[in-house]
Amino acid sequence: MQGFPGAMPDAGQLQSTLIAIERACSSIQMHMNPAEAEKIIISLRQSTMPYHTCRFILENSKMPNARFQAAGAIGDAAIREWGMLTDEDKKGLILFCLHYTMEHASAANAYVQLKVSAVAAQLVKRGWFDFVEAEKINILLEVKQAILGIHGSDVQFAGINFLESLVSEFSPGTSTAMGLPKDFHDQCHLSMELNYLKEFYCWAQSAAANAVDRIVGGYASASEEKVCSKALHFMFQILNWNFQKSSSALDYSNNKSNLASSGIRHDVVQLRKFERSLVEPGPLWHDALLSSGHTLWLLNFYATLRQKNSSDVLWFDFPLAVSARQLILQLCSLTGTIFPSDNGEMHIKHLIQILSAIIDWVEPPNIVPGTLRSGRSESEMVDGFHALLSMATLTSTMLFDNLLRSLRPFGTIHLLSALTCEVVQAHASKNDDEQTWTSEGLDILLEIWTVLLGRTGNEKKLSAESIASASNLFNTVVESHLKAAAESAFEDDSDADYFHVSVSKRDETLYAYALIARASIETTATFLTKLFTERFALLSQHNERWDPTQTLEELYWLLLITGHVLTDPGEGETVLVPEAIQDGFAGVSDELQHPVVVLSWSIINFARQSLDPEMRKMYFSPRLMEAIIWFLARWVDTYLMPIDATKGHLGTSGHDEEQQQDSQPSKRFLLSFAGQNQGQIILDIIVRISTSTLTSYPGENELQAFTCRKLLVALVRRRHVCLHLVALESWRDLARAFANERSLFSMNSRLQRSLAETLVSAASSYKDLEISNQYVRDLMGPMTAHLVDISNRNDLKAVAQHADAMYMVSCLLERLRGASRATQPRTQKSIFEMGYAVMSALLTLLELYKNQSTVVYLILKFAVDFVEGELAFLNAKETSILVNFCLRLLQIYSSNNIGKISLSLSTSLQSEAQAEKYKDLRALLQLLTNICSKDLVDFSSDSNEVGSTDIAEVIYVGLHIVTPLISLELLKYPKLSCDYFALVSHLLEVYPEKVAQLNKESFAHIIRTLDFGFQHQDADIVDKCLRAVNALASYQYKEKTAGKEGLGANAMSSEESNGEFQESILRYFLRLLLQLLLFHDFRMELAGSAADALLPLLLCEQDMYQRLVQEFLDKQSNPAIKTRLASAFSALTSTNQLSSSLDRPNRFKFRKNLQIFLTETSGITSII
Amino acid sequence: MSDEEHHFESKGDAGASKTYPQQAGTIRKNGYIVIKGRPCKVVEVSTSKTGKHGHAKCHFVAIDIFNGKKLEDIVPSSHNCDVPHVNRTDYQLIDISEDGFVSLLTDNGNTKDDLRLPTDENLLAQIKDGFAEGKDMVVSVMSAMGEEQICGLKDIGPK
Repeated sequence: MQGFPGAMPDAGQLQSTLIAIERACSSIQMHMNPAEAEKIIISLRQSTMPYHTCRFILENSKMPNARFQAAGAIGDAAIREWGMLTDEDKKGLILFCLHYTMEHASAANAYVQLKVSAVAAQLVKRGWFDFVEAEKINILLEVKQAILGIHGSDVQFAGINFLESLVSEFSPGTSTAMGLPKDFHDQCHLSMELNYLKEFYCWAQSAAANAVDRIVGGYASASEEKVCSKALHFMFQILNWNFQKSSSALDYSNNKSNLASSGIRHDVVQLRKFERSLVEPGPLWHDALLSSGHTLWLLNFYATLRQKNSSDVLWFDFPLAVSARQLILQLCSLTGTIFPSDNGEMHIKHLIQILSAIIDWVEPPNIVPGTLRSGRSESEMVDGFHALLSMATLTSTMLFDNLLRSLRPFGTIHLLSALTCEVVQAHASKNDDEQTWTSEGLDILLEIWTVLLGRTGNEKKLSAESIASASNLFNTVVESHLKAAAESAFEDDSDADYFHVSVSKRDETLYAYALIARASIETTATFLTKLFTERFALLSQHNERWDPTQTLEELYWLLLITGHVLTDPGEGETVLVPEAIQDGFAGVSDELQHPVVVLSWSIINFARQSLDPEMRKMYFSPRLMEAIIWFLARWVDTYLMPIDATKGHLGTSGHDEEQQQDSQPSKRFLLSFAGQNQGQIILDIIVRISTSTLTSYPGENELQAFTCRKLLVALVRRRHVCLHLVALESWRDLARAFANERSLFSMNSRLQRSLAETLVSAASSYKDLEISNQYVRDLMGPMTAHLVDISNRNDLKAVAQHADAMYMVSCLLERLRGASRATQPRTQKSIFEMGYAVMSALLTLLELYKNQSTVVYLILKFAVDFVEGELAFLNAKETSILVNFCLRLLQIYSSNNIGKISLSLSTSLQSEAQAEKYKDLRALLQLLTNICSKDLVDFSSDSNEVGSTDIAEVIYVGLHIVTPLISLELLKYPKLSCDYFALVSHLLEVYPEKVAQLNKESFAHIIRTLDFGFQHQDADIVDKCLRAVNALASYQYKEKTAGKEGLGANAMSSEESNGEFQESILRYFLRLLLQLLLFHDFRMELAGSAADALLPLLLCEQDMYQRLVQEFLDKQSNPAIKTRLASAFSALTSTNQLSSSLDRPNRFKFRKNLQIFLTETSGITSII
Repeated sequence: MSDEEHHFESKGDAGASKTYPQQAGTIRKNGYIVIKGRPCKVVEVSTSKTGKHGHAKCHFVAIDIFNGKKLEDIVPSSHNCDVPHVNRTDYQLIDISEDGFVSLLTDNGNTKDDLRLPTDENLLAQIKDGFAEGKDMVVSVMSAMGEEQICGLKDIGPK
């Protein structure tokens, strides 16, 4: 073949390489000395101009693996040597690959052909902008002819295969990086979309169409069927393209009202979940997809085939059926400007057309699950659900419902409800674990409901029929789940819970159920009350011999679903009463008759029963209590003294009709029934229940965690609730018990921390600053006193190491830590007093417990939290007290840990010890970082006062203490190294002069860690190191130009024994960075920071830079590479009017230059 | 606490008991526990319930601090577990005898001669080498429930 690059080796050489590669491939397969074999294959991939050899192997080797490797080698070499190949060479390689796949289309081992095809596609993309248009067209014309079937169906298949590789090479997610910048890939993406994609689609379509006639006629060969399904799959792939042109160019905001009236939604961007996306190809595609009757053709084809094969249960999973359905789904997800602006008419017609076809896949609802049980594949039904989900996403709820009315006497939501009923029942009564289709189907169906009902305002209006369907569905849901709950009540509590894999998954399901319930809230609230009361009554009727477990489990489930129906999760937001509940119940005129009020009270009254010790013992199991506490926490957030109750309206729902709705009494009831008066009573009940879970359920950590972290936190979240809270006798009892009694020490110490945090948080509600602080003093005073007592004991040394003493100290420390975390401006003063009181005690304890890592860690963490909470508020004197304390802490820690070697017989104990050390150091780094923040955030009144502590000075001392503890071994922990490098780069950027003053050892240590960081896998860490080096070099350059010493002696740390730093540090980094850029697989996303670091380095060390460049060039034996490298180097520093300053524009210019440099040199040097 | 004695004070005689009872639910990872009569360090705690509506129980995975063996235990979380008093004391190393014993200097100036050299080769080598080079060395000794073992080393002397 003409235009094949490289010199042709002689026949003997070709033969011997072939044998070597074949041998290597077979030894890899047999797992014999794979490292050696890999080396041989890699040497082929990295050799210069291996094309003739590879071609020889491809054409002559009998071993498919060897052919596969040869194809890969062509790709690697060509990408690498692209700059050195002539246009003729490039085209020759592409055509060779292309012809190879076509000629071998019918050969076995399709993966070899696929690989060759992929290599061809890669090369086409690499040369996309090198070739003139006519050349590309010539290549593609050949493919087109193949696809249209001139050379038979095998070649057709190969042609489609090639296009498939090409399209995936051009899609961002699946493209090969090829060492080219993102810009190149983006341009390719756009060019493909504008010029070729639609044409490809049409080719595939005509290939499919030819085959379809024969398949329907029943005289198609197997390979024709294969081509057809391949073509359909390729069309599906094209419609999966991430279309750029149309989505970015259009703005719908102008004609919003117009579109809203049609019911077609244009604001949706994507189908949530399930990894599918909407298809927005734009108006250019109108003729190909819509006006040509393409959709109808496809639907008819599928329907005909389906009928023909209806008796074959396996047919639904055949590739042809699957690809056809996938393509139908994509067409169903069409949206955007491909439809003319005719008020959605055409789009609606399109959807109805598809719906009329896919309805056969899911109807009738009660039959489909039955046929699935008898062995039919569920894939068709699941695809039908997906189609419904697309439709629901694209239409308003009302329009979605109406889509079906032209085909059936009922709406789509009615059908959806019937489908969901069937699937829920099948799912809940799952007797056969093999059937995963129920959970898959249910997931999609519930997502449809979430899409339809999770909207706001007019878009989710429902017809009366839909409301009835929803109510019906919810009844089925509750009944099936109650049944399942009762049946599973005696199972062991384990992960194999009957209807959920994890809590978040369960919550998602329950949220969807809750939306369904809220659609018909007027009936469902009453329904839930009835179910709840019935079971509650059951408990009180029975005697002791009766086993309540099943009822308890039913109640557990009812509490969960009721909680979801009545409240929204609202993580981190102000929670409102759900819109559907606010707007419903128009006819209710008495507060006590309001179904939501009745339901709430029945649960609160039930929960109150748990205060009776007898009842508690018999019925209120830990699990049931967990549900109660969870429910109460959500309920408190939503209904207890809602914020706007006093004003009489809710200002956030965004309705214009607010005035009119305000007059609705039912809404007022909702906001007022747990307002000031009743609210206080309920609050009291809840506090007493909380106290009892903390004291009467010993060892139930999960329950107590719910109480401390969910319920109590909810109580103190809002200030006006807090105000009532601190006035309650029950709350004071809890605080008293915490401060003065032993009972709460039996809680897990981590929970004591949360409890302390919550109790202290409540202090902010007092109007009077002094009372707030006194409250904290009363609460925490006994803790500090106790801790000081312990540290002052004469026999401290003897008793301190006892387990009980250590436990007590740990509990106290956790409590102090919790209190520090609750620091607020109002309580800052008393918290500081608390910390101040224990400072010396803590230092004593740190010394004493130096070998008890758990206590040491707690002390460090307390310091971290305390500094974080307090530092911003402190005046100069307090700051210096705190900072001195921290420094003492660091010194003691350091003196106890430096040079310590601990070893143990057990490797796992050893690694535990290592992990503990790592956690300690993280805490120390956090401490330093927190201290750093004083320079950034300072609320104290006298921050400019003379004599205030110099934070930089402190960090400087701190760094001296901490750096020797950080070993390279420890930096392998990702979180620690992330913290460490964040601190170092921050310090170097903000206080380079302080770092320059560090003593030699510490400075060298920091440099060594930076050196280590450069080799790190994590791009984030490399980025931080680059920033640090940038700061260091920029500082040096500025100092030097100003005629100052700069890094001075530190810059010349040539005393390193291992010779690493024989040259100055900046020179060292310059060399390192250049090596990184040239010889390693440099990540393009770091190019920006690399440029920023490189510029000051080469400005500082001009001579060195020139020398290094020369060195690199001299090493090149290949003159072609040498010339390219030389010109790239000179372009790097001379183009773009680069000056020798470090200002922003200049840095920006250099960034651009480096980008070009990297693109130019990528690949060529990686083989040197 | 004002109305009660600190509970570890009431024992009076320090060191009389080798263990202390503590509620299973409060024992955390990295804490100590006695399993099958051996002092252990907890490396994993998980909780579950005995039946859906039963009480919580803790599942401990722990490692014997002296011989490194892995032990497991399941305890209802409201019940008490024995927690060993684990002490670590630093002594200055005075001498290494031929028969594998070390001689250590206690706080009050006496010597302690009943401890064997560690079996761990790494630590052993470091002690022997360091001692041979004439460095000042501090060894830390872990003791619990009547057993003692050298578990660590610190070099405080001049290079």
